[in-house]
Amino acid sequence: MTQSISASIDADSTIKIVDKRLPGDLAMWFFILAELSVFAIFFIGFAVTEQLNTELFTASKAKLHPVAGLINTLALITSSFFVALALHAISQQKVRSTVIYLVLGQLLALVYLVVKLWEYSFLFDAGIDIETNTFFTLYFLITAFHFLHVILGMVILAYITLRARKNAYQQDISGFEAGASYWHMVDLLWIILFPLVYII
Amino acid sequence: MNTTKIIASWFILITLTLLSVFVGQVIGNHSLFLFLVLAIVSLKGQQIIDIFMELKEAPRFWRLLLLSYVLLVPAIILVIYLL
Repeated sequence: MTQSISASIDADSTIKIVDKRLPGDLAMWFFILAELSVFAIFFIGFAVTEQLNTELFTASKAKLHPVAGLINTLALITSSFFVALALHAISQQKVRSTVIYLVLGQLLALVYLVVKLWEYSFLFDAGIDIETNTFFTLYFLITAFHFLHVILGMVILAYITLRARKNAYQQDISGFEAGASYWHMVDLLWIILFPLVYII
Repeated sequence: MNTTKIIASWFILITLTLLSVFVGQVIGNHSLFLFLVLAIVSLKGQQIIDIFMELKEAPRFWRLLLLSYVLLVPAIILVIYLL
């Protein structure tokens, strides 16, 4: 847990002290930075390759299902929303609400997994796989890598749900915050991935 | 972060997502389309970082570090596509 204290003097000379705290633990934030860096390389590499193969990428993107990406974006944003509500609930020691929000968050993550698997099978049925062309090699590599992060995020969410049910966050919620932050990172990555692959 | 802010942020994120899909169908100018879609990515990123991750109330260094990511990555992608 990292803390910094800032002080300011306002017009009537009273001193305000603001305690700023980094949610979760520092190790998780370094892990998040490492993950973001790896995906940044993927995103930039994808954009550069698209610029070198514009026609191929345009034709290949047209073969993706137009609605699947949108459904997954809405599912991950809403899942992240429920996890944010869960964090707010646990900070007020509302265990029942926390568990309900976390379960809803995981159900929406499950929607993402099912739609993504359906999308892969839709492409396989059309005779498209990772070796079809450069676009689909990058598409399968990047989306499958993100898919694995969603699974890891769901394991973390399941773990903090079980701990919340056992009232394990009565004294310290930094472990909960760390898990929630990881899940929001998974959402953040998809926010960039979605327009790159489906819209642009 | 209070519940009202979290709900407002979710509404903004959903609206921006639908807007980014809609932009592609109504904007004819390719450069403007790219700029708008990638600007929306940055705005959505800011919502997730400040509200969902609660970094608005965190030490400034960490907030700016994460915000710079959602500004720089879309900006680099925009430059690549415009070259």
